[in-house]
Amino acid sequence: MKPARVAALATLLLLVVSPAAAFTVRDMLGREVTLAAPPQRIVSLVPSVTEIVFALGGEARLVGRTDFCDYPAAAQATPSVGGMVNPNLETLVTLKPDLVFATDEGNREDTVRQLARLRIPVYLVHANRVAETLDLITRVGAMTERQAEVPRVSGEMLRRIEAVRKAVAPFARRRVLYVLWPDPLIVPGRESMLTELIEIAGGASITATDGEAYPRFSLEAAVARAPEVIILADHSTGASTAGRSAPDKWKRLTNVPAVQAGRLYSADLSILHRYGPRVPDGIEMLARFIHPEAFR
Amino acid sequence: MSAASRLALALGILGAVLLVVIALALFVGSAGLSPRAVARALAGRAGAESIESIVTLQLRLPRVVAAVLAGGALAVAGVAFQGLTRNPLAEPAVLGVSSGAAFGVVLAQISGLQLSFLEVLGVATFAFAGALLAAAAVYMIAAVPGGLSIQTLLLAGVIVGIFFTSAITVLISIMDYNRLGGVIYWLLGNLAPIPATSLALFAALALGGSWLILRSARELNLLALGEEAAVQLGVDVTRLKRRVFTAAALLTGSVVAFTGPIGFVGLVVPHVLRGILGQDNRLLVPTALVGGGAFLLAADTLARNIVAPAELSVGVITSFCGAPFFVYLLRTRYRATL
Amino acid sequence: MAPLVEFTGVGFGYPRPEREREGGFSVTDVSFAIEAGEIFGVIGPNSAGKTTLLRLLTRVVSADRGEIRLAGRVIAPLAHAELARQIAVVPQEAPRPFPFTVEQLVLMGRYPHGPGRYFETDEDQALARAAMAATGVLELAGLPLEQLSGGERQRAMLARALAQQPKLLVLDEPTSHLDLRYQLETAALLRRVNAEQGTTVLLVSHDLDLAAEVCDRLLLLDRGRVARVGPPTTVLERSLLERVFRCPVAVDLNPTSGRPLVRVAWPSGRAPRQGGDQSSPSAQGSRSEGSR
Repeated sequence: MKPARVAALATLLLLVVSPAAAFTVRDMLGREVTLAAPPQRIVSLVPSVTEIVFALGGEARLVGRTDFCDYPAAAQATPSVGGMVNPNLETLVTLKPDLVFATDEGNREDTVRQLARLRIPVYLVHANRVAETLDLITRVGAMTERQAEVPRVSGEMLRRIEAVRKAVAPFARRRVLYVLWPDPLIVPGRESMLTELIEIAGGASITATDGEAYPRFSLEAAVARAPEVIILADHSTGASTAGRSAPDKWKRLTNVPAVQAGRLYSADLSILHRYGPRVPDGIEMLARFIHPEAFR
Repeated sequence: MSAASRLALALGILGAVLLVVIALALFVGSAGLSPRAVARALAGRAGAESIESIVTLQLRLPRVVAAVLAGGALAVAGVAFQGLTRNPLAEPAVLGVSSGAAFGVVLAQISGLQLSFLEVLGVATFAFAGALLAAAAVYMIAAVPGGLSIQTLLLAGVIVGIFFTSAITVLISIMDYNRLGGVIYWLLGNLAPIPATSLALFAALALGGSWLILRSARELNLLALGEEAAVQLGVDVTRLKRRVFTAAALLTGSVVAFTGPIGFVGLVVPHVLRGILGQDNRLLVPTALVGGGAFLLAADTLARNIVAPAELSVGVITSFCGAPFFVYLLRTRYRATL
Repeated sequence: MAPLVEFTGVGFGYPRPEREREGGFSVTDVSFAIEAGEIFGVIGPNSAGKTTLLRLLTRVVSADRGEIRLAGRVIAPLAHAELARQIAVVPQEAPRPFPFTVEQLVLMGRYPHGPGRYFETDEDQALARAAMAATGVLELAGLPLEQLSGGERQRAMLARALAQQPKLLVLDEPTSHLDLRYQLETAALLRRVNAEQGTTVLLVSHDLDLAAEVCDRLLLLDRGRVARVGPPTTVLERSLLERVFRCPVAVDLNPTSGRPLVRVAWPSGRAPRQGGDQSSPSAQGSRSEGSR
């Protein structure tokens, strides 16, 4: 059994056994979060968490989201409190939340502190691995009292991930360059989930051991590592209005194997950078880019 | 009318304006509270956990206080720099002092200072040091014997500002991508509810710095005679310059430390006041303190509500107003002195 | 009675770069005294050190050698405010830019008498008005200084100095930018202030005739040293002036006042004729002078 599954199951069991009245949990950063009762009015400042809540069917308890929480479409009906970096505190407070989900990667520390001062419990999340994503799903399930749905959702995810692994297993790994942002060149490093997703999809990120989450990288160094597949993040979908990927600049690098083989792809940012139920979607997309021959 | 009574009248009027703006800021906001609810909260008659209490007393009120302090401090710093340099276009942002302070803060954040009280003090110290460094650089570049050359001053300010902004960019580039959004947001200059202890520190710094400049207001007037003439009238010019300089840097540094860099308040407010009250710094400094507070609070209330529920940064609004204003001043009033 | 101002063996040299920049020059072994109630003039060529003397007296710079006394007290340890209560300086030019009104300018002169006060007292206001009346700028009180003519500005600056109620009034080139009428007025004003209020006046001037007419005694500076001190007839002596100013001069006597009148021997501008020129004014002038 995969370690991820063990962790997921163990946490699940622990949470099922704990009492439903006043309780203290530890969030994903190890902080203690104390609640008087299971939360009934949840505000999610994290798009990934919003997706998970909907996937588990817990949206009845969701009273607030950010502008960037754009999936699924049904989420649009939930009131928004603004951006991830600058949510409107007045609007948030008016929603009378008893729990706020936030992340240390995207929300500001100041916001978290403000909420603490307003005595609104904040549950911090952080997921850089598939295993952590599954853990997150379990935790959200516990907080929304939808534990029963967790095995279905997690199980489905694991099944699809397994399927991709099997499909690409026969093929040699391909060197992959993932471009989060072209100019300056920003790539996924050790701490980025993308590195693992690429690995599952049968590739090897050429920046896998560099820097932390998303370091700057030199174009020359990238070219020198001769990637066989180049994937460009497309920022223009969803609520983000940042630019599209621009393949033309890359097509000029004719000495790069990826360009020679015509393996230059554009990927939907919001799928690949969220740690929720669409992780398999991302992996499947990556796998089709990296090993198209596996899916004919 | 004697100067003292003109001051009293001006303060009275500005004080009334300030109260109106404060009321507006407290009653208007995204939470859609009725005026009666807000009044109840202010009077302490709403429950401590009620929406109106939380929004009014914990969100709006601290923000209002922060805005008034920041606006007053920036306006007084503007008057101080203008008196010191004998140039009505001098103000913390134009002189690059805000950028110096911002650099100090970003440096402090990178070195991991978080927000216990001592560390807030630490951040403020870094900001003050940055402001002082920038102001000193500008002064040294632009000083020629006999005073400060106006063109050189403005150029020096731009250059020092660019230098520190670049320095900030260097710091940002080694910062993680995920924290980038937060820092960039901070650099726009925002007012937010500040916790009580920090607010008390901010108030002490803002009022203390303003007091230092107020004490020097009469001597700042005399500086207009020229440094040599001022010495011959008995002014200790060296100590005056040092005191005003340091106080203005302290004011700028503390505002930047608590709210991020906000520009042009020190340009717009003193200019408007000069049009009404004349050049006497003894009138300008106290009225700038009150008028600056009203101005920034009004700008922030606008920023908060104009595209509600989203919020604009107040620094954006002051820049959008201030930059064209600066150009207007340059082209009309001060063309002769350039 | 002890002299009001006393310089004893005073020496001072600007550090090198400043000397070039500000046109300041050194003075060496300067000794002289100014009696209370007199009008004293300091004259000399451009590089002589006249302005330096002023700066030494008001302690804008400090003497390297020697001693300066004011009303018997050494000035070196005195605070600037203390000095300002006794000495008022009217600079050569009004400061620019200067955004204040005439009245605000004159009130600035009251600062040394109450440096701790935030606003001026009623008494200060009265004294300022009296000073403005004395120099004839009272009607201009509410106008910005920059809107005044050159002569009016000078009178406003003088009013500010008078408002300081000094024992010693110092003027640095008071008539250099004025036309004739204002030069006359200034001279009359100084005379009046000196006579009515007993204020000692120290005048630094290029204008030898003004100095001769108005001053009781003169000090002629030559390259930082005292060339001569004394009444105008003694100091304005032809051979001395020619030596110090290094050009030919003639000294006549003003028939009305009896004071010396210094004339420069202007060149004729005509080419010299063969065998000397009998008709050129300079030749005539020097001959007629020599024949006296």
